[in-house]
Amino acid sequence: MSQTRVVAAVEIGTSKIAVLLGEIVGDSELNIIGHSVGTSKGVKKGEITDLDKASDCVHATILKAEQNAQSRVDEVYLAQTGRHLIGNFNVGSSNVSSPDGVVRRVDMDAAKEDAKRRTLPRARTYIHHIQNPFSLDGRPVENPLSKEGRQLQVGYWSVHGDSEVVSDSLRVIRGIDLDVSDIIISSIASGAVLLEESEKENGALVIDMGGGTTDYVLYRKGYIVKTGVVPVGGDHITNDLSIGLRVARKSAEEFKLKNGRAYYQTEDRDEKVWLFGDLTIGDREYPLAAITKIIEARVFEVFDMIKEQLEVAKIFVPGDIASGVVLTGGSSRLAGMAEAAQRQFGLNARVSEGPSDVAEELRAPEYSTTLGLLHYALTGQEESQQPAKPSGILRKLTGLLNFD
Amino acid sequence: MDTTADILFSRSAAQGDLKIKIIGVGGAGTNAVDGLKLDDLGDVRLAAINTDAQALNQSPLAEKLIIGRSVTRGLGAGGELEIGKAAAESDRDAIARLIGDMDLIILVVGLGGGTGSAAAQVVAELAAKTDALVLAFATLPFSFEGARRKRIAEESIGDLRQLVHGLIPLPNDVLLQEGEEDTSVLNAFAVADRWIGRGVNSLCAMLLKTGLINQDFSSLRSVFQDRGGKTIFGTGTATGGDYVKDALEDLFICPLLHLGDRPAQLDRILVNVIGGTDLGIAKVNEIMTQVAKRFGSREDIVFGAVIDESRSQSLELCILGKAEMDAVAAPAPEPAAKKTITTGLGLETEISQDNQFSKPVHRSKLSGKKKQPDVNQDEFTFIDNDAQRGYFEKTDRNEYNDEDLDVPTFMRRGIKIKIK
Repeated sequence: MSQTRVVAAVEIGTSKIAVLLGEIVGDSELNIIGHSVGTSKGVKKGEITDLDKASDCVHATILKAEQNAQSRVDEVYLAQTGRHLIGNFNVGSSNVSSPDGVVRRVDMDAAKEDAKRRTLPRARTYIHHIQNPFSLDGRPVENPLSKEGRQLQVGYWSVHGDSEVVSDSLRVIRGIDLDVSDIIISSIASGAVLLEESEKENGALVIDMGGGTTDYVLYRKGYIVKTGVVPVGGDHITNDLSIGLRVARKSAEEFKLKNGRAYYQTEDRDEKVWLFGDLTIGDREYPLAAITKIIEARVFEVFDMIKEQLEVAKIFVPGDIASGVVLTGGSSRLAGMAEAAQRQFGLNARVSEGPSDVAEELRAPEYSTTLGLLHYALTGQEESQQPAKPSGILRKLTGLLNFD
Repeated sequence: MDTTADILFSRSAAQGDLKIKIIGVGGAGTNAVDGLKLDDLGDVRLAAINTDAQALNQSPLAEKLIIGRSVTRGLGAGGELEIGKAAAESDRDAIARLIGDMDLIILVVGLGGGTGSAAAQVVAELAAKTDALVLAFATLPFSFEGARRKRIAEESIGDLRQLVHGLIPLPNDVLLQEGEEDTSVLNAFAVADRWIGRGVNSLCAMLLKTGLINQDFSSLRSVFQDRGGKTIFGTGTATGGDYVKDALEDLFICPLLHLGDRPAQLDRILVNVIGGTDLGIAKVNEIMTQVAKRFGSREDIVFGAVIDESRSQSLELCILGKAEMDAVAAPAPEPAAKKTITTGLGLETEISQDNQFSKPVHRSKLSGKKKQPDVNQDEFTFIDNDAQRGYFEKTDRNEYNDEDLDVPTFMRRGIKIKIK
């Protein structure tokens, strides 16, 4: 008889909390049985600033999803974002130890361990170690086992975060007496479900622009070679509009949704848009150019920062990103985002329509991260090319929590 | 309101001996004071303090003080904070003499350089030892001037804020939005001077001129009872046409009033109207109603209206207010007393309040500064980029390559947004 467990995929975003409930039967079958999106409070730029407020919102959203599914959650998979996440590329190496010069598993393990042994400063915790291809005497090899050579190397993209910040999000979940089985960074989760295997193979850049942060992941030859977080999101666009147009936040948000475009064009100069559009006192006209210029400056800057980070890492190679840029997250709904990305990266760009194998209502950008979490809940993280979990991360953080 | 206005009218006339001194500190501060065109306000004294003797020699001001000759040999601080500090320290006595015995001192300083950033603190500290009400206009450097100047400015504005009754930060990035589409850098600097000019002029006109509704010095004092805290400042002008409506609109979209959702948190504000002979009480009433609707109830607003006979069909509005930083930052002892002020227009109560508050005013002299509780320290660690961060005010800075990403990109890049 196969065992059934109910997994909640939870993303505590800056503007929204998304919860998906999946029923995992045995080790292979996943049914999505409930979902809920709630307003988020007490979160800014992807990090929790007010634990009580954030907890209330998260609890309410999980409860709603449970009611929606008529089922109780057994465990939680949690997404993590925020500027505190830092990635490093580490290369580990080992000398082939057998006398006949053939690579054995023990050599591979030794190289892997070597790559992961870099210790972190206090108060930092590894979240992922993502394996990249092996190379044998400098030549890349898909599987070095039983091949001949002298030196074996393997690269890892390792992501670590601030223990305090990670603990805060664990606290939120523990507040309703649920256990967090795993933490996965948002960009990796979204990327996993939004890209076809062939796109990962050809190379693609997934950019998830949410309310408070923009998370990205670059796939090259099927491997995750870099992830990153730019602590800027849709909230910043709204704030820029509010300051630039000198209107209240609410009006700025409306302008963004109603009239906003990710880039400016000359015709915007002559077009006017109304603040309220209802002839009430205080209503006034604004040039569309003011709105689009403010947004363009911000959106282009975010894209430029991502491009620059890839260039610094020497992995911005258009030929290796043949499937182009795939946009998701709430802010990807802003008009003109694909064109803006195309212009700044010089790559094909599209706004993702969501994974095709889930129900229509779950294809909205709000759910891509949580779908990715469920994907990992199902497949686990041990298969190659998937993020490997540093052992004991949750135990370690649990330890931190107990000191309170 | 009209009856109180009459009372104030008579007092104001007898108030001719109000002593006001405007002191420019450092190169930018001196330039701004040089450029002040105070329309016939007679008695306002202008002074300048600088380390750079040559620059100071070119200033037409009557009262000039070169500081730190022993340190810099009159050559300026070269952007070095330490030199500016040493220069000011070495001439404390001279600075104290220049400050003299005033009722109102307005410091004008450009932060980010060596002299202004460091010496302004010393000047403010010495001014705080007198009975004068001390206000300061401080410009903050453009983003394009580099991260170093920005850091210096932010450090010094935090300290300066604790020493004066009201500090008006003027972020150049923000002011640039007000210039013409293709403002050159040189003009961009002049934009800040114009803003300072408008503020100073409006303040002095309110205190020294007579008009429809006179506000005297004690009403100003009542707004700026305590040191520290956030000061807001904005102006609006219009000429011809429906100038009342236009000036109000100009005031409401003043960029300095749109740095975060501030107006809602204001404790107490002072609104001054300068108009021509055609400004009647009906128009003033309309302005008051509109302003009150926008910024709070009438009880919290102190109005002044003066007539400038050289104007016609033109209006200048100026708003000055004070907000506590937040509940944590405001030291607990006085709030009960503060609440007793209901209006700024009753003369007798004003005077008694003045005495009542002479204590708190002196409470935080510099000697006590170091002992201030940590909450106050926190308060200004994020402060002055605050001014440009709006919604993100209370969050950690978002540093990336020496820029704060929470500050709008268009502002950091100097992209001008025309909203009219």
